Amino acid sequence: MDQATLLKEKVQNGFIVEGIDDMNEEYLNALKQTLTIVGDTELLSVPPLLTVYDQAPTLNSKITALAIMQDEIGHAHIAYRLLKDLGEDVDRLLYEREAHRWKNPYAFDFELSNWIEFGVFNAFFDRAGYTLLGDAFEHTSYGPWKRALVKVDKEELFHLRNGEIIMRTAMQDPNLREEVQKAVDWMFLMALEFFGVEDRLKSRSAQLEYRLKGRTNDELRQKWLSTAVPFCESIGVKVPAHYDEEQQKYVLDVPFPCKFDPVNKKWLFDQPDTWDNVIKRFKQRGPKNKEFVERIQRGAKELEQLRKEAV
Amino acid sequence: MDKRNTETEKYWQALKEVMDPEFPISVVDMGLIYHIEKVDEELHVTMTYTAVSCACMEWIEQDIRDRLLKEKGVRDVHIHVVWDPPWTVDRISPEGREKLKYWGVSST
Repeated sequence: MDQATLLKEKVQNGFIVEGIDDMNEEYLNALKQTLTIVGDTELLSVPPLLTVYDQAPTLNSKITALAIMQDEIGHAHIAYRLLKDLGEDVDRLLYEREAHRWKNPYAFDFELSNWIEFGVFNAFFDRAGYTLLGDAFEHTSYGPWKRALVKVDKEELFHLRNGEIIMRTAMQDPNLREEVQKAVDWMFLMALEFFGVEDRLKSRSAQLEYRLKGRTNDELRQKWLSTAVPFCESIGVKVPAHYDEEQQKYVLDVPFPCKFDPVNKKWLFDQPDTWDNVIKRFKQRGPKNKEFVERIQRGAKELEQLRKEAV
Repeated sequence: MDKRNTETEKYWQALKEVMDPEFPISVVDMGLIYHIEKVDEELHVTMTYTAVSCACMEWIEQDIRDRLLKEKGVRDVHIHVVWDPPWTVDRISPEGREKLKYWGVSST
């Protein structure tokens, strides 16, 4: 039996990987890739949230927003710290990487339009994070990550509940109902895109084979839908999905994947798309990608400049 | 403090369903509730938070209010937040401690 097959079999049987000595090259690469996506996603969630931070309706909601952003930065720190232990040069990763090479979701390359979108961001995107990281906590074969996720998952739950409260409260205000619906209309499919390419289009997944995660993309998408749809229905927000009794799963009422108009933040439902094109769109990045990454890197670069001048 | 009587006991039980925003521990087991008093059809809840900078005060209060209003004969809920005596981990119930232990959080 070759080394890769042996390791795959071991982790499938519950073996917990604790360090580089336990891994092969393929495991290490898949793990680094996964943690980079996780770290980038946590960190780059902050710039969009900051765009509407000053619109928080009360002082306490401002404190909540700050606590959430602080959590996200803390989660990013955990992911990057794990990468550092795996031999990555984290300073380079953070401060010298070009904007388009960051791995955060496309949905984070946008400014938010109002406080309601802050809520839907929490309720939908943090729910996606909670779904993905909850699965990792349950199934991952990488011990140090699993232990770190206890705290992360609890905090993500707090974020998504905050989102639900903002949405539920806004739905009781006739003036804000429309804003909730408008936010949901663009953010719902965005959240579904977090889970990536459909299972039938994927030949294999190192993440699954090495048990970095446990559920497939489509299974995770279903899990997200199974809580997001009933929640939205309970507060009277329309969503383009419903539970199909016959198929025993959630099905979408609109084309997915689908073309998106980034300027107007609108899905073009008359233009169904392919996953290949979606990946292309992800790689082209959204409108604020450069600005947001520059914001993360600005302080480090300015300090570096100052050091040079001082010598 | 914590003066429970047969009249208000059911409200303490009801608040065991109101959870901390992060951990599945109720506000009662967290030791946040100091006193519940019923005056006619109105409830007066005296409570505290773990910190003055608690980011979730408004929503915890809303959750408490919503839950208590479901009780028969409760027309209104008044929440009085106090900082004296201050909350310490000693106020967490044995049940709460067990749950925190399960989640790997120290409560001492």
